[in-house]
Amino acid sequence: MTLLLADDDHTIVDSLAPFLERAGFKVLVVSNGAAALEKVQSHHPDLIVLDVLMPRMDGRETLRRLRHANVWTPTILLTQVGEASERALALEEGADDYLNKPFDPHELLARVRAVLRRARPGERSLSAAWLLTADDLVLDRRARRASLKGNSLELTPKALAVLEYLMTHPDEVVSRERLLNAVWGWEYPAGTRTVDTRMAELRRALDDDPASPYYIETISGEGYRFIPSVHGEG
Amino acid sequence: MAKRPWLVIFLMALPLFSGALVSILAQGFFQPVPVLVFKIDVGMVAFIAGLIITLFLLSFYAGGLLVERRSQHMLERSLKEAELGRRRFLRRLDHEIKNPLTGLRAALVNVQEARGTDERQRASNNASRAVDRLSRLLADLRKLSDLEERSLENLPVNVPELLQDMVDAARSIPAYGDREVNLLISRVPSPFPTVRGDRDLLGVAMYNLVENALKFTSENESVEVRALEDGRTIVVEVADSGVGIPAEDLSNIFEELYRGSNARGVDGSGLGLALVRRIVALHGGEIDVRSRQEEPRGTVFSVRLPVSKL
Repeated sequence: MTLLLADDDHTIVDSLAPFLERAGFKVLVVSNGAAALEKVQSHHPDLIVLDVLMPRMDGRETLRRLRHANVWTPTILLTQVGEASERALALEEGADDYLNKPFDPHELLARVRAVLRRARPGERSLSAAWLLTADDLVLDRRARRASLKGNSLELTPKALAVLEYLMTHPDEVVSRERLLNAVWGWEYPAGTRTVDTRMAELRRALDDDPASPYYIETISGEGYRFIPSVHGEG
Repeated sequence: MAKRPWLVIFLMALPLFSGALVSILAQGFFQPVPVLVFKIDVGMVAFIAGLIITLFLLSFYAGGLLVERRSQHMLERSLKEAELGRRRFLRRLDHEIKNPLTGLRAALVNVQEARGTDERQRASNNASRAVDRLSRLLADLRKLSDLEERSLENLPVNVPELLQDMVDAARSIPAYGDREVNLLISRVPSPFPTVRGDRDLLGVAMYNLVENALKFTSENESVEVRALEDGRTIVVEVADSGVGIPAEDLSNIFEELYRGSNARGVDGSGLGLALVRRIVALHGGEIDVRSRQEEPRGTVFSVRLPVSKL
């Protein structure tokens, strides 16, 4: 498995590259977006880890160009700011996952493995799809609307964002900490309860019984898992 | 007004001049003119009227100038205060970063020079503790700046439920697992009114207060969280019987990165109360603190939030 790591900070790549190599990956390193585009064309890596702030061409623009050229190599975007709009943008450009700096290298490794497991080579990933369908549940990401059996669901924006994250990462055990990091952008000790509150709201709206769930399963001590398979369009 | 002073003075003096002119033209000074049965000094009346109008305009103008000067002064002062605040913040930030960084450096040297697995293990534990401290500081800084930018949710929040959640969350931290927190909520007549706002942020605020109370009390001291309402306002009080906050610290504890004499050497980013104050203000509320260091000693933080209108 070959991994392309694009970040202009040498102290970061000098430490991350050997760490990822020890985990069994072949790691290519570039320090800007333009170089990343070239490396993708010449070496066809299996996954790209892309920093957002880079000289010459930033990570966001790089990703836009890749997707525009119909290159669907799974990509993890390293964002700098824990801001909600930033994360929404990350989705818009078709990143498969994103991680806020500063992060624990083990967390990056876990994401890399999860994204690779989910990836279907050459195919557009769920993260880049605007309309997600799982049986009777439809999520329109552009309109920020979800419906069940054709009936529109009344959800708070947060609960909708949680549903979005789960549906773009189906059949994956997603920890509360990861949801906090991805949807809220910040973590705090009481945060896991915050996640549980939104999950309860989501389940009520979906009429999903936690004891015998159809959509969202609780994996005790670990997190949540979206059960049905998800189909993406557009 | 201040841009054309000559024009202003001319306009103000105009009534006086016209009054004087009228009085001279009408009669020559001091020669009463008979109007009906009365003899009225028309010239003098015109002159005095002009004088009064001019005086009135003058006082109006002077008052305006005074107000303007005062507001200018206040603006300057608040700018100066903001500048002072910024410098103070940077100085404190420097201090908060310096310590864990020093620890981290020392730990790295120890990792390199360790003479056994035990020593190396201890050094790397210390290094990750220092990293944790820096990460926490950064996370709280980001929360503070995020507060200025993110859009708040504006939904009814069930305060008693939120308080119960946050008390449970604080007690789920291993260090506080065996601590009692008394939660008192007026339940009659029910239901307790809601607050409109962002549940997650209000949760952060309440959690910080409860965790602070636990942090600054020991096992045999008590912590109480109570909520009251009077139909317009919900008051949440987080009270403890701990050592209390020195009077000279009380007015500063909501400042970013301020550390009172009690809080030196205690874990924390120094941003918790600043976050609480900001969140409460964003919800149209207020926060107060009162504290005593003599018996009966203790500290009470009270948060007042407006009840949501139906």
